[in-house]
Amino acid sequence: MTDSQDLALAREALQIALESGADKARATFSKSEEDLVATLNGEIDKVTHCSDRSLCMALFVDGRYGTFSTNKLDIQSLRKFIGESADIVRMLAPDPCRDLPAPGRCCHDATGGNELGLNDGTREHVTPKMRGDSALKASVFGTRLPSHAPYRIVSEEGEYSDSVYDTILADTNGTVCLHTECSYDYGVEITIESEGERYSGYWWDSSIRRDALDPLSCGEKALFKAAGLIGSRPVESGRYDMVVDTEVASKFVSPLLRALNASAIQQNNSFLMDSLGRKLFPEWMNLADRPRIPGQICSKYFDSEGVATRDSTIIGNGVVSEYFVNTYMAGKLGMEPTIEDATRPVLLPTMKGCGRDALLEKCGRGILVTDFNGGNSNPVTGDFSYGIEGYLFENGKPVHPVSGMLVTGNFLDLWSRFVASADDARTCMSKLIPTLAFSNVDFSG
Amino acid sequence: MKNTEIFSVDEAMLRHIVSKALCDGGDWCDLYFEDSSYFDLLLRDGEVSSGGHHIDYGCGIRVLKGEKTGYAYAESTDINALTDAAAAAAAIASSGNGRRLDFGRQTPSRKAPAEGFYPSMLEWSDCPVSQFVPFLKKIDSEIRRREPRTCKVIAVLSYCISNILMYNSLGELTSDRRPIGSISVQAIFTRNGESCTNNVSRSLRCGAEMICDDVLEDLVGRAISGLDAQFDARRPKGGKMPVVMGAGASGILLHEAMGHAFEADFIRKGQSVFTGRLGQRVCPKGINIVDDGTIAKNRGACNFDDEGVPGQKTYMVTDGILTSFLHDRISAAYFGVEPTGNGRRESFRYNPIPRMRATYMESGSDGSLEDLVASVRKGIYVDQFSNGQVKIGEGDFTFYVKSGRLIENGRLTSPVKDINIIGNGPEALADIRGVASDLRIDESTWTCGKEQSVPVSCGIPSILVGSLTVGGE
Repeated sequence: MTDSQDLALAREALQIALESGADKARATFSKSEEDLVATLNGEIDKVTHCSDRSLCMALFVDGRYGTFSTNKLDIQSLRKFIGESADIVRMLAPDPCRDLPAPGRCCHDATGGNELGLNDGTREHVTPKMRGDSALKASVFGTRLPSHAPYRIVSEEGEYSDSVYDTILADTNGTVCLHTECSYDYGVEITIESEGERYSGYWWDSSIRRDALDPLSCGEKALFKAAGLIGSRPVESGRYDMVVDTEVASKFVSPLLRALNASAIQQNNSFLMDSLGRKLFPEWMNLADRPRIPGQICSKYFDSEGVATRDSTIIGNGVVSEYFVNTYMAGKLGMEPTIEDATRPVLLPTMKGCGRDALLEKCGRGILVTDFNGGNSNPVTGDFSYGIEGYLFENGKPVHPVSGMLVTGNFLDLWSRFVASADDARTCMSKLIPTLAFSNVDFSG
Repeated sequence: MKNTEIFSVDEAMLRHIVSKALCDGGDWCDLYFEDSSYFDLLLRDGEVSSGGHHIDYGCGIRVLKGEKTGYAYAESTDINALTDAAAAAAAIASSGNGRRLDFGRQTPSRKAPAEGFYPSMLEWSDCPVSQFVPFLKKIDSEIRRREPRTCKVIAVLSYCISNILMYNSLGELTSDRRPIGSISVQAIFTRNGESCTNNVSRSLRCGAEMICDDVLEDLVGRAISGLDAQFDARRPKGGKMPVVMGAGASGILLHEAMGHAFEADFIRKGQSVFTGRLGQRVCPKGINIVDDGTIAKNRGACNFDDEGVPGQKTYMVTDGILTSFLHDRISAAYFGVEPTGNGRRESFRYNPIPRMRATYMESGSDGSLEDLVASVRKGIYVDQFSNGQVKIGEGDFTFYVKSGRLIENGRLTSPVKDINIIGNGPEALADIRGVASDLRIDESTWTCGKEQSVPVSCGIPSILVGSLTVGGE
């Protein structure tokens, strides 16, 4: 979707920045299109078309730094904007740690944009009618429910969208990298009523290929999730083994990634301070970054600084192996830079080829968490408390739905109780975290 | 400069775009032009060494066919770009008829006040960015001077000026100029190897006069207050118990657990637990719950909403009876009532939907906070929440309590933290046992994230809820 004119615009912006007094600059040009059809109770409810272009500039002027963005992209407006932006930077305090990444760290193999094969070019052939039909295919509203169904559907909201996002990143050190990514997405939320109580369920799916999706299964799974909650109630407070479904398991991994970010470390705002090289997790816990898998959502050759991504071990055999250190934080902390963040984190399975049922069987009795409802965590201490819903399971089988309960603990303590991970991570997710099992976790309700 | 000049349009051109958008049979069309200029400065490690300026410019075009919405936008306001967007939005008209709504009688009887709700004595645009640097540095130095346990301070000052022009198929042309300024401070403190964090903020719809000693004193004072309690705070034993909520920031629970369920799109779609309950008692007599766009300088203030409807104050609950939902033009037409000025959007990139403004409960007549606490033998007092979540269909909510205290024999005792409170919105409303006379509107940087981000605020007097589940050890 981006073309030579867009690349020329990014280069022109860099030239204007230099003419305005910048010593160095980075220009990131973004262009996107999205078409969306939303449904309500089996009828089309909303149609939207979005088309965006914007330019973001990082300016380094006299040892000072600022970031600027605009979507007024005619050259006259751009020249005025960048000139004024350089003047703003001059008003700030110098910061010797601000710099472009060294050219040797930057990505030089994303010259076409589609090296990862994330845009098969078929989106341009999708018509408005196809979009409408696709959205309606995901709906189960009005379908014949089983005669014994103990519920009625109160409402169903669905959404189909297709989009393409392109990026051009260029800097005054000569780095130029391009990325293009297409996405087709479905999501359905269903609310049902049974004996005066309401229950809701949501399901979504996403792919870079339109034909890889099964829209009807979205509606069916959303309904299945809602119906599965009928009669849910808290169980007795206490300590249970916990199995966390892959759909929501990143809730217990994302805080680790945030705590390993150098920005949090530098601000003393992390429960993983001074953790590099230390064994803080069970040796069967392995968390890696796999950013360059062709055809996989969220794969990318470069980060927002233009630094080349690479396969890495974040936590290997329980040992913290990597902080996420961008160029700025490397200067602030006196560390070697790595990458600004995990691009496509993968928690490796300990039970290869196994799914959720195998973990339930392994644990025998406990609580299967299928969704979270509110709660938060403390980034400094790692303490957390989340509302949950799911199922009590016994002898490896769900026996009745659970809601109105909280799971409470501390991330480091929780991960010391890590039992096993399945091999069922959904490839449509940005973090590939399979179903997880932990022993002896505190639940209250 | 008039807003029509900012966007290089005139009424004839606006009429032309609307007629293009309605050419496929739409019932209603509105145009929303926006030119927003956002500035920010960041202090870290004692220096203001990062800043930025961001421009967002464009026009959103909405076409309604009954309840159905077609939406598109252009990042340029030239006639070709707007015509293309109008054609894309018009497509909704060919997606079937559905229920027919009458938008023709929607000229609101209420008028916007001449003065407006964003009084500005000092225009942000008249102040060079450098003028604000000493303010941020003083926040840092004052926190460190007054609290030796300070480890890190990050402070961000941001402000945004949005010029808005709205036009609709009734021929109503509306202009608004919306300033908003915000300062947020995160301070980290250490004691004997332990750390704790305080986040405080202040956000107002006014001019640069808000960068003053009073605001600085407020932020610094709150950033360093209650540290010993925070360090000493522990998770209490959980269970069902009475909960006293402190005045001010506890209003976020009202916003999340009740306010969203009063938004009329959820009612129209039958999704809210309050569907069909208009006119019924939802909480004890004497309780009034309000959503208000008319509080001058407030982050949720609206001269006009984003559908051109004048700002107003809406009583959702009056003397315990559910008296109104929060309407945009679609739900107002659907229910045959006047729009309540709640049609809001994040930017021209989004279609408006019913959103709250400043949501609060009015003061009651059950004495003071101390009186409410004295009536509880064993319970919990909470004054800071974060990250609440509610399930609209069920009304179930969970809120993370950042700070509070145990209540033992009518007195506040040990500090508590890092717990959750879970309950059900309608049940909690019905179970309010006392409302103190100390309403406080919280002026922190609240942002509501229902599909889109919009600035809001919240408030509440101290209240006592008979029984909620507290998740602890």
